[in-house]
Amino acid sequence: MTPEQRLADLRELFLAAPESTATRVLAVMLSLALVAIVLRLVRRRTLREEYTPIWLLVAVAIALVSTVEPLLDALTRAIGAWTPSSALFFFGQIFLVAICLNYAVRLSQLTLQVKNLTQELAVLRSVVEREEASPR
Amino acid sequence: MLIIPAFDEEQRLPDVLRRVASAAPGFEVVVVDDGSRDATAEAARAGGATLIRHPFNLGYGAALQTGYKYARRASADLVVQMDADGQHDPADVPALAAPIEADELDLVIGSRFLGVGDYRMDALRRTGRAVLQALIRAFGLRISDPTSGFQALGRRVLDLYVGDSFPSDYPDVDVLLAAHRHGLRIGERAVDMAKSERDSTLHGGLAPVYYAYKMLLSLWAASSRPRGGATRKGTR
Repeated sequence: MTPEQRLADLRELFLAAPESTATRVLAVMLSLALVAIVLRLVRRRTLREEYTPIWLLVAVAIALVSTVEPLLDALTRAIGAWTPSSALFFFGQIFLVAICLNYAVRLSQLTLQVKNLTQELAVLRSVVEREEASPR
Repeated sequence: MLIIPAFDEEQRLPDVLRRVASAAPGFEVVVVDDGSRDATAEAARAGGATLIRHPFNLGYGAALQTGYKYARRASADLVVQMDADGQHDPADVPALAAPIEADELDLVIGSRFLGVGDYRMDALRRTGRAVLQALIRAFGLRISDPTSGFQALGRRVLDLYVGDSFPSDYPDVDVLLAAHRHGLRIGERAVDMAKSERDSTLHGGLAPVYYAYKMLLSLWAASSRPRGGATRKGTR
């Protein structure tokens, strides 16, 4: 048996290894907790409704991949990973980078809006103060 | 109109305003107080300047831009900008303003390196200036003092500089390049300049590294944006 074949067999062993029940239960509990936290934040007006879909989708995705075994298996094989947990880490990191970039863009837009508003306010205040100070 | 952005300049601003009043009496002086923690605003008022106050610090570039927005609102055709720290000599204001008034140029930069005065730079700044000069020369713009904040601007430059791409921190060669690419006429006049503490953009920790990085990125962004139409409407 060539080293390549031995490696391929070893990978199949890893891929065929069943995910422990404890891991699945923990993942489902995590996704439920995420949904609960998101809803609670919305109720307390700490999180705006338009920011919730992405996090609810994440919760659904976690629940799906931890309960529908063929799904995670197919994803793992598709990206060439050896274990389902590696695949989860991979997709998790991609998601985190994407969401951070998205927030950086939103932050840049907000910074620009705050700057423009502040400048507008400063200019208008100067005009008003001058008009108030001038004799009628 | 003469715009002076100021941050914590209560000590030096009164003298600058006094010198401006005697050297450039025809100008409305506008001090943009960029969220100072000291009595800069009171000093501006006492000096007879129009005061625009940011409620918090936005940065040197944003303070300048607030002045441009005010000038545009007041339909000013000519703006001269100078620093509040006394580095720029108000006696040079008429010479900077003249090419705009004569409609020879749209943007006039007061240069330290055209034979007036004896301004000396340290090695780091000299190197930085040489790199910036070389970079903008590649785009067909020859400027001896690309980081000078002592400038006169015409109406068309104001129209460009009030846009969202004007930087809030260090408006240097990137905005000059944007003006050049918009077909605006840029020139220089010799001015005398004193040493300033504000040149700290090139000193202290990682600041020079960030400045170089930001300039390169801004230059690339400015050069890759579509060129704007160079309408001459509204120019005197």
